[in-house]
Amino acid sequence: MKPTDARAALGRARSAAVLALLLAATACGGSPSSPAPETAGETIRNCDVDVAAAEPPERVFAAYQPAIETAHALGISDRLVGTAFLDAEVMDEHAAAQAEQEYYPNLPSLEELLSHEPDFVLSGFNGVFTDESLGTRASLRELGVESWILSPLCPSEDGRTDETIDPATVTMDNVYADLRDLGTLFDEQERAEQVIAGMEATVEEVAQTLDGRVAEEDRPTVMIGRPSDQGFRVAGGPDFSTEIIDLAGGVNAFADLDGRRNHDVATEDVIARDPDFILVDVCCDARMTSADAADQIEQIMDDPALANLTAVTGGRVEGFTFADRSAGVRSADAVAKVAGTIHSDLFG
Amino acid sequence: MADRVAERPLSPAPAEPHRKPRPPSGGSGLLSGPGARSIGLMAALLVLAGALLASVLVGYQQLSVADVYIAYAGFTGSDTDLVVRHLRVPRTLAGLAVGAALGVSGVLVQGVTRNPLGDPGILGINAGAALAAVLAISVLGVSALLGYVAFAFLGAAAAACAVYAVGSLGPDGAGPVRLALAGAAISALLGSLTSAIILRDRASLDEYRFWVVGSLAGADGAALLQALPFLTAGLVLAVALARPLNAVALGDELARSLGTRLWLVRGASALAVVLLAGTATAAAGPIGFVGVAVPHIARALVGPDHRWVLPWSAVLAPVLLLVADVVGRVVARPEELQVGIVTALVGAPFFILLVRRRRAAGL
Repeated sequence: MKPTDARAALGRARSAAVLALLLAATACGGSPSSPAPETAGETIRNCDVDVAAAEPPERVFAAYQPAIETAHALGISDRLVGTAFLDAEVMDEHAAAQAEQEYYPNLPSLEELLSHEPDFVLSGFNGVFTDESLGTRASLRELGVESWILSPLCPSEDGRTDETIDPATVTMDNVYADLRDLGTLFDEQERAEQVIAGMEATVEEVAQTLDGRVAEEDRPTVMIGRPSDQGFRVAGGPDFSTEIIDLAGGVNAFADLDGRRNHDVATEDVIARDPDFILVDVCCDARMTSADAADQIEQIMDDPALANLTAVTGGRVEGFTFADRSAGVRSADAVAKVAGTIHSDLFG
Repeated sequence: MADRVAERPLSPAPAEPHRKPRPPSGGSGLLSGPGARSIGLMAALLVLAGALLASVLVGYQQLSVADVYIAYAGFTGSDTDLVVRHLRVPRTLAGLAVGAALGVSGVLVQGVTRNPLGDPGILGINAGAALAAVLAISVLGVSALLGYVAFAFLGAAAAACAVYAVGSLGPDGAGPVRLALAGAAISALLGSLTSAIILRDRASLDEYRFWVVGSLAGADGAALLQALPFLTAGLVLAVALARPLNAVALGDELARSLGTRLWLVRGASALAVVLLAGTATAAAGPIGFVGVAVPHIARALVGPDHRWVLPWSAVLAPVLLLVADVVGRVVARPEELQVGIVTALVGAPFFILLVRRRRAAGL
């Protein structure tokens, strides 16, 4: 048996034991997606995978915007050995820290990744851990690399992707739970609590402002998407957009589209649903900002087929970024941003 | 005769001394005789009219003929009016134009290369258009539809020229086999370049999918109007080529002895194919199957005479494309399947049925 195999086996045995203890201790209550982080000594469970937690990871590779920003927010910038695939400019407070990082515009190959000798891969999305990309989390563990997917994107099984996200896990509470778990894992509990407190305060402030002022049936419908050759590519039900819009006092106009986060819909579908707001989520460049949506906003405003849309006639087609619809440390700000857009009368 | 040519489609057909070397005609095809073919063509036109109507009426919301009438006669700017005028009708007209262009260019390519698997793709048209468009988007940052359509058209022309140039190297000039091989090689080269760019690019998967699987969903009236002169020129050229192509079908030597200038026929065909298929690809992305299958279906029905095969293909190809597009709108609701995916799904059963009944009709 190779040492790594032995470690993995030991890890599994330990995790089984810990799980049994946990189950016994918390036989009733507590959602399965938020295991009590304080008691996690040897392993912490993430998306049904037990992540070894005996020693804080020292060499972390962060893939995608949410993971990169989460790492900086938790104060482990100096433990990053590489970062990859930003969708937009990083949050202002992390710009300096990110500027010093080695950065790949695309995901590196597995070999390239391993050349950094990481002991941990933190990913903002689930597609990384598939056979088509860097490999499943189990296969990475065999190489001595532990891994983490931000929980609102948990696939039902290691190696799977968006198709298997459980919509019930797509919550802001799961973002907090992740930060708490990662804080424990990296031995940065205080920092994690600070971040969570800040996010909770932002979301709470929005909730306070909305409280009693927006009736359930008056919530505006919001479409987050961008024009495509097919019509539009929009955020569906299992996307974190749905949670962000919900917390901001709106309804995702495409919440009923399930099975995947992104859906290609026909222009006629958009006309039929007639969303009150359209947020154009430009994507995928480290220097991108919502201002880059200008061209696509113009395209929507000038499209004769869309001339009757409430969002078009009311001038409510706004710039947004794909990064802002992702689950992560910027999600609370995204909630405030969306709330400010769709309830501009309440948020002066 | 049709069967004999089909068995050795790539070799020059030896002359048949006992038969007058006029264009192949009569006898072959399910519809024999000009009367049956003409009546059949009328019937096919009615089917096309039905497909056009279905394409306008069927979709995310079902429309009635009255809705369509009102959209033009009593336009009020309602949602339905906008859907009819700016989405359904342009999309339907695009299906008609793209379908006819693909069908006719398929006949031309198969006729001039005498390759039963010939389609515009074999001249590198699709690959050239796709690569040029992808380059325009990723390198030059062209975003407007009209912008990269122009690039796609140029790419199609450049690829066809390259294929023709490579196919003409050597002492014998551009023979059918050489053209087919050069086309396959250059298509593969261009295709892998496109893939390399797409895979390297970040936001790629959505933006470029159009250039991998064709679609009519983005059809736009203004772009169609711009494409019209090119399509018309291509169709006129195709009509003029019908007789010379019949001669070419007899084999190079016999065609030459009949006074056919082969280089002129090939050059004119290539030009017509670039005009037709280049515009079709620029407007709807690469759509396979239609260009290969429809000429065979037409030949199975009316025999090998290009004077019949061309009009029949021009009618049947849009039928196939429009029906495929309507099916694509309905089967995956509320999303849509791109027509490029559905064409083979819809067309293959007919294709197989006809080919089995007729054996591959001669070229």
